Amino acid sequence: KDKSAASKDGTPERASKRQEDGAETPKQQLLDIIGNMKVEVSYRKKLQQLKASESKKQALNKLEGPDSEGSVPQGTTEGTQRGKPLNPELVKAASAVASSLPHNKKQTESELLAQLRRHEETTDKQKNGGTINIRNVISEMTVKRQSPAQRGARISGRISLQLDEDGRRIRPERSSAQSIDSRRSLKVGKRLNIFTKASTEPEQALKTVSSPTIWDLEFAKEVAAVTAQPPRNGFEEMIQWTKEGILWEYPIDNEVGMEDDAEFHEHIFLEKHLEGFPKEGPIRHFMELVICGLSKNPYLSVKQKVEHIEWFQKYFEEKKELLQEI
Amino acid sequence: MAAAALCWALRAARQVLPSPCPRQVRSYYVDWRMLRDVKRRKMAYEHADERLRINAIRKNSILPKELQEVADKEIAALPRDSCPVRIRNRCVLTSRPRGVKRRWRLSRIVFRHFADHAQMSGVQRAMW
Repeated sequence: KDKSAASKDGTPERASKRQEDGAETPKQQLLDIIGNMKVEVSYRKKLQQLKASESKKQALNKLEGPDSEGSVPQGTTEGTQRGKPLNPELVKAASAVASSLPHNKKQTESELLAQLRRHEETTDKQKNGGTINIRNVISEMTVKRQSPAQRGARISGRISLQLDEDGRRIRPERSSAQSIDSRRSLKVGKRLNIFTKASTEPEQALKTVSSPTIWDLEFAKEVAAVTAQPPRNGFEEMIQWTKEGILWEYPIDNEVGMEDDAEFHEHIFLEKHLEGFPKEGPIRHFMELVICGLSKNPYLSVKQKVEHIEWFQKYFEEKKELLQEI
Repeated sequence: MAAAALCWALRAARQVLPSPCPRQVRSYYVDWRMLRDVKRRKMAYEHADERLRINAIRKNSILPKELQEVADKEIAALPRDSCPVRIRNRCVLTSRPRGVKRRWRLSRIVFRHFADHAQMSGVQRAMW
């Protein structure tokens, strides 16, 4: 019935044209055109074609006298089925088709018009439902993304769809709809993040007390060993090497491992560490040279320099008796 | 340089990690001489600071000579393997003591082998 309606919607425009020309009988004309007719897939294309062809002849033939214009009516609900006016060109086409057929003309005309109305309804419902469904799709990324494309294909293929009161579809796979509903109800709304934060704090406080148990460490090592998969590609290999310390981190940081937070004056003015030494004599002279050398050394940290000086202090204290003999 | 080689040696001597990743880990040294060299490097690293300081006292024209003689004796008393002079830059793969290029730590034979198989980055046969 769909294909016949498609063909008949296409034919009556030419049938009506040639009826006015009056060259051939309408029946013969119809048969010829049906033989050559390609089934048009998109309903909107047909509509546009009808509009373009019949735009000049609107004023002449108006049958059921709807005062609405040729634009597709929008925003209908189920209640206003028959109140919505049909496209006058389509109406005209339907009447032409009915007149061309040999059976009861009025009955066929009414049937065709009723079917047209139904198609209009479905298209409108599809449009309204489409917006809602698209929003649903966007809100949850798990919903099938092909639904708009599929819907477009189904409109063009003229499969009638049953729609819910909310405008959603009742598909044969009801379980998916139910699961989608349950998913939406669980995940709807933003998280308040009240309970999660409060729960983690006491856990952390407890963990820091009892962290370094050997069994925990062993378990952690085992888990890491089991879950560590061999690297799938060169990037993962490089990541692993960086973690192990074989590969440096890029961009190269020259101060990796060097945590010298000391200011420059702590490096240079080291005389305050010389308090344990005698103020005169060769040892003092020697230590001042040592300090001069350390102040110019950029490779040691302050801690290392201080250790250096302290070692000398300890060494000279041990040799004090020897020094006093001299 | 010694410290770097030492770190490498330590990493090689460590036991195989419990991860199942198929990277080759060398758990034995090439020969005993290499092992001894590794030990010498470790000891040299440990005693490096002390040796530096005692030598600073010894090679001095300011401090009294008696002190310097005492320092001489002290440094001689340190373990023999702690001096850096005993380290030999062996080939890392074959433990060859001679013909080792410092930059690659490889002996000339191994170097040539890898270079001919195009496994040395940036190394090309000379032709001019």
